[in-house]
Amino acid sequence: MLTKTLLSPWFAALLVQSLLATVLLVKRMWKKFPLFVSYAVANFLLSIALYAVYVLWVSRRAYFNAYWFSEAVGLFLGLAVVFEIFRHLLAPYPALRRLATQIFQGAVVCLLLLGGILSYAQSVGEHSHIQAAFFIVEQVGRILEVGLLLCLFLFATVFGLHWRQYVFGIALGLGIFVTVELVAVTMRLQFGVVASPILNIVRSVAFNASMVIWISYLLAPDLATSPAEMPKRAQLAQWNRAVMELIYQ
Amino acid sequence: MTIVLVIALALLTITLFYVGLRSRRKHVASRPIQPLDLSAFHTLIDRDDEVFLREKLTRSEFFRLKRLRIRVTWKYVHRISDNSAVVLRLAGMTRQDPDPQVVETALQLADLATTIRMQCFVAFAKLAVEFMLPSMQLTPAMLAPKYESLRANLMLLRTLHPQAPLAAAI
Repeated sequence: MLTKTLLSPWFAALLVQSLLATVLLVKRMWKKFPLFVSYAVANFLLSIALYAVYVLWVSRRAYFNAYWFSEAVGLFLGLAVVFEIFRHLLAPYPALRRLATQIFQGAVVCLLLLGGILSYAQSVGEHSHIQAAFFIVEQVGRILEVGLLLCLFLFATVFGLHWRQYVFGIALGLGIFVTVELVAVTMRLQFGVVASPILNIVRSVAFNASMVIWISYLLAPDLATSPAEMPKRAQLAQWNRAVMELIYQ
Repeated sequence: MTIVLVIALALLTITLFYVGLRSRRKHVASRPIQPLDLSAFHTLIDRDDEVFLREKLTRSEFFRLKRLRIRVTWKYVHRISDNSAVVLRLAGMTRQDPDPQVVETALQLADLATTIRMQCFVAFAKLAVEFMLPSMQLTPAMLAPKYESLRANLMLLRTLHPQAPLAAAI
């Protein structure tokens, strides 16, 4: 019964992943988002391989190796996708790029430190030391992903940046998935193998939800923005002076 | 402890996704640049006026009036901040214009809009503190460092907009 429950979302994920890969290929998205396409396709192929290893039950060792290999690839490509989102979001704003790059460099250092501290403080309920070490590395990686996405959304909110349809969809889907992954890996480390069945279901559901978000944003037409008139530079200078007067009065 | 921090981080991230979703919808609706009465804004932030009111009114009346002024000032700053975001978006849209002069002007505007947007956040912080503590006046003790900062900002303004009288005056 439990195996069936575990397998159903997994199989559903494979179907949705194949649909996502098809949409990406039909829409020739590799031209615009090569890293995201690599991420989606690699995840799809690795999921098939992992599913095959699980169903054929080659050996426990083979499944362990295949699982952690797919997690490592997913984590690495996920970070690459965050970088791609960053590049696309800031492409129309060259004036902000330098500031954003500096903020993100600082954020990477802070997040690695935070990840290190949290992992050090984490009580480990996992019996296998090797498994625990892998989970800790994954936890640090997920903290980095979630933290960078958080910074990206915060930066966009603070400066009122416009999210384009595809970029926002990719960021939202990835964000939901990696946030659930971070919570799941932390719970898994804390409570050990007993938490595994329920967390696997939650992770599968989150991954499927992310893929549905990606597909729907890729298929939905881009919402048109109506053009507004650009103000004169003198008008901006006036606003600038007004705010400065308020600050420095 | 780690779980609490991770869950807090996750909740914060989800909240920001929601804010992003909402602001995207707002952008798509595409607000135009809102008009702004700068002379009314100057009257509102006049410190001499505030000193006069402090002398003439009772403490509680002064606090009530100051909070009211801060609320209205907040709306003005919010409008400036919103307008800067619209300018940033418009400048971003013109970056692929075939005319290099248009692209250059858009870049300069985006630079200035970024500066204004950041200053608006400083202004919001200042207004929030003064709203909570109406008797507080943040300026005098920090005047010297702020002047340095002001000069730096004006130098930037002069490079971007040589005709600005204030920029030329300093």
